[in-house]
Amino acid sequence: MAESTTTNELRVRLVTPARTLVEAVAEAVELPAKNGYMEVLYGHAPLLSELGAGDVRMHGVRGENQAAEQIFNVNWGFVEVLPDRVTILANDALRPEEIDVNRANQQLDRGLKQWNEAGESEEAYDQALAVIAEAESKLATAQEKA
Amino acid sequence: MANVLDLRRRIRSVKNTRQITKAMKMVSAARLRRAQDRMAAARPYARMIASVLESLTRRIEIFDPETGNLRHPLFAAREEKRVLLIVVSGDRGFAGAFNANIVKAAVNFIDGGKGKQFDIESVGRKGRDLLRRRYPEARFSQGTDEQPAARQERRGPVELTGDHPGMLVKLEVDPVFELAQNIIARYIHEEIDAAYIVYNEFKSVIAQRVVVEKVLPLGKIGGQEVAGATEPSLEERERAAQAALTAGIPLEEADTKEADEEARKFGTANVDYIYEQPPEELFNALIPQYVASILYHAMTESVAAEHAARMTAMDSATNNASDMIDAYTLEMNRVRQAAITKEIIEIVSGAAAV
Repeated sequence: MAESTTTNELRVRLVTPARTLVEAVAEAVELPAKNGYMEVLYGHAPLLSELGAGDVRMHGVRGENQAAEQIFNVNWGFVEVLPDRVTILANDALRPEEIDVNRANQQLDRGLKQWNEAGESEEAYDQALAVIAEAESKLATAQEKA
Repeated sequence: MANVLDLRRRIRSVKNTRQITKAMKMVSAARLRRAQDRMAAARPYARMIASVLESLTRRIEIFDPETGNLRHPLFAAREEKRVLLIVVSGDRGFAGAFNANIVKAAVNFIDGGKGKQFDIESVGRKGRDLLRRRYPEARFSQGTDEQPAARQERRGPVELTGDHPGMLVKLEVDPVFELAQNIIARYIHEEIDAAYIVYNEFKSVIAQRVVVEKVLPLGKIGGQEVAGATEPSLEERERAAQAALTAGIPLEEADTKEADEEARKFGTANVDYIYEQPPEELFNALIPQYVASILYHAMTESVAAEHAARMTAMDSATNNASDMIDAYTLEMNRVRQAAITKEIIEIVSGAAAV
């Protein structure tokens, strides 16, 4: 890993509709982009991407009252990457300890039920898939923590 | 003439009322402060979504150059025949003319669109109650397994298609997002040709107005398309300022220009971005979020405005109660004095007669 000096660090912001959740300086950020995870380091080319269900992981975070490693489960999001800055817009972001496993299980059941009942409708399948993906990513995050 | 005892009782009663209105005013002031914080906290996201979408529309042609199709159906403007109107009112009364004004604006807007059909979605209990007296509710056939619920024939040009009571009590993003998706689906399936939202805009305690804003089809991204607005009178504004002053609410919003500028830069840097997904997908993902953020923003403003209106109304009520107490106290003293004078005259004249 590159040596961290004050110049090659990313300013990371995680913003949800209700409020700005995190504003910190980190060495690297892992993002659950729609077509696969990616990791962003300082100096990344400018990029816009949609995020799917998964974890945003921030490594080497510095700042007052900030843990060095931070994980947020996001359901849907949008990210702007600039060489020295990463801004993540997310519908909702949960820390692993905030995830309610029971509710996630219920959500998974609901998704599977929707999947079974979707019939011919492509729209319904997509919706069911989104629900399942969200529930599974929540469960995975929660399990890893446990 | 009322006797002293009656008046004293009445004064006590008015004093009790004054205590209640005063308490309600302070509660509203506290809620207003919280609502203002929430508005400020929600602003960066809304700005960012708007600016990235705006920058996308600038960089990518809305029409696909190869097929000539629109990148997203929400950009398509059709002739407005069926209009959806979202009416955001309050859940509770005791807020002066707050709910009445919103309903009035909605009704004016509907009356101004002769020959069009309107569907109303009401958010907030008070507005729903008032509108329900005026317009019939839409009827839907019972949905079965094979066939989803379908709408039955209209009973009039204006119908209530849905209501969302309690959405404002604890304003959260998810239900608003669902509402947005519902509206988008109706637009795409051509059940409606346009969508407007009526709500009470809240710039600061003294700068509020009822606006009718266009939501769909998407016009200029990031700008507000106002189809009609009612400004408060100078007198109303002064009353609100007075109420805010006594409740310790700052009149002007905190300065957030810097943060706003920062948010506005999102996705607009003067570089060539790599788009991870094709533009259609980005539009598909961002537009529902954008519509939801418009609705969410309108609702946070409406909640703040409702508390501000209640605060003002309760401040007036408290002042009126004080005036009433003064008047009754004066009258009571007069009556008492008159009784004393009468007694003295009786004694004096009795003595003189002896």
